[in-house]
Amino acid sequence: MRKLFIFATLLFWLAVAGFWMLSVLAPDALDTPLPEAATTERQWSTADVARHHTADDCWMIIDGQVYDFSAYVPEHPSNPALFIPWCGKEATEAYLTKTRGRAHSPYADSLLLQYRIGVLR
Amino acid sequence: MSVSSVSAKSALVAPAVLLVLALGGVVWALPQGLPPWRSLAIVSAWAGTGLLVGSLVLMIRAPRLAGLFGGLDEQYRWHHRGGALAYVLLLVHPLALAVNAWSESPIRAWQVLAPWAQGWPVWLGWVGLVLLMAGLVTTFSVKLPYRRWRAFHYSLGAGVILGLVHVWALLGELGPLWVFLLLALAALGWRLGGVDLGIAAHPYRVRSVTPRAQRMIEAVLEPCGARMVVAPGQFVFAAFGNGPHFHGCGEFHPFTVSAIGADGSLGVGIKALGPCSQHIQALEPGVLVRLEGPFGRFLADRHSAPQLWIAGGIGITPFIASLRRERLVHPLTLIYLYRSTQDAAYLDELHALAAAEPLLELITQAAAGPPADLEAVLGAVSQVKERIAQLCGPVPLIDAARAALERLGLPAASIHFERFDFR
Repeated sequence: MRKLFIFATLLFWLAVAGFWMLSVLAPDALDTPLPEAATTERQWSTADVARHHTADDCWMIIDGQVYDFSAYVPEHPSNPALFIPWCGKEATEAYLTKTRGRAHSPYADSLLLQYRIGVLR
Repeated sequence: MSVSSVSAKSALVAPAVLLVLALGGVVWALPQGLPPWRSLAIVSAWAGTGLLVGSLVLMIRAPRLAGLFGGLDEQYRWHHRGGALAYVLLLVHPLALAVNAWSESPIRAWQVLAPWAQGWPVWLGWVGLVLLMAGLVTTFSVKLPYRRWRAFHYSLGAGVILGLVHVWALLGELGPLWVFLLLALAALGWRLGGVDLGIAAHPYRVRSVTPRAQRMIEAVLEPCGARMVVAPGQFVFAAFGNGPHFHGCGEFHPFTVSAIGADGSLGVGIKALGPCSQHIQALEPGVLVRLEGPFGRFLADRHSAPQLWIAGGIGITPFIASLRRERLVHPLTLIYLYRSTQDAAYLDELHALAAAEPLLELITQAAAGPPADLEAVLGAVSQVKERIAQLCGPVPLIDAARAALERLGLPAASIHFERFDFR
């Protein structure tokens, strides 16, 4: 088991180092505005958003932006029962505090971009 | 100490506990409709968490539990296996999440791993994983002094708790995680308070101390309260306290019982093998001792068939306990190997016992390591194939004797052994 531990630990840190190196070498794609977001800035009303209130069709308003989280719902780490009630609603406070004064991570902030579909009218 | 024979049913209990906890977590969190790498990350995390909690449960040192798991040695073996497998699965977890994000971009994959891009729930996971790593580094450092080794080993427990809080924070609710958290806290609490601090130990007092060989004493301990029921071949964990001129190291160490008195007293043979047992050589009567146990199944089938016992050095201890306590019902050949007569504990007593017991044949031999003619000595034992062999001593002697006995035609199931390798 000693050999298994040494082998697994070395492999793990090599993989972590590999991910870091490849991220350094990769083009800085995340800083570039998403073409779709830049060119098709659609506007939505709260009534529009309210129609998408289920786990399969889940939109939210966060800080004046409208997001379609339908594809992300299964990936959210918490219990869906905590996430889905915010579908179709203004969820800025819930996002900023997780309803208990805890902010989402910078990683979560960066993930938001890819689900943005427009702004609130 | 490790004992070779475990019943088939008992041998399955410890792996079953690990399997149920690992599968329980996976079934509850079974991913549906998620990308394959994210699914793998979730499954590996829950299986690893279940195994870690199971590994903590298998760390509890209690006679009844050890009996359920097929002996303390078997229990600890699965504690190690469960912990190592859990560690590997938990390493897979962040890497699989990163691979999942790779489909979007290499930068996103790195952000999954970089703690500064994440919130405190993920930091907890990282700290837990690093503590597991640090704890395992020291676990595998056999040269580390026991006290330091044990202190570092506690970082593994802290790693498990942080890992569970990491899951709790990410889930946003406790859910069925409370089962894992409760089990982990109970196991750690029991191990720390009940075992390492000795809250559940039996109080005894040193009645007498007798030098038995070079760097070896025998202490007779009398109960201060309820007495333990001990069988020959078993061992106890003892922590020696303070006396007028003696200050114990306070740690629990395993010692094989060398005598079982009708009045509840117990003899333990203590060889100076490390700093603490070296210190105990200066033990004096009146010192309070805390005992945990008894443990072990060695010599459990000593009455079922003709016996062949092989002892190396301090390995004579379980055999002298049996010979002192009971009359023989089957022929017994005892082969006692030692480095020199100065190292041979109980030699005169064994000769006296052999002279008084017609069923006992005693063969003694001074040898540094396994003797070259061991197979010839064993081959000269009458009806050797029909005997049950019980071996106790250093690993090289055990290995040599097992190989020789198997070559002589003794079935492996008839060879039981105990060696000293507890950590």
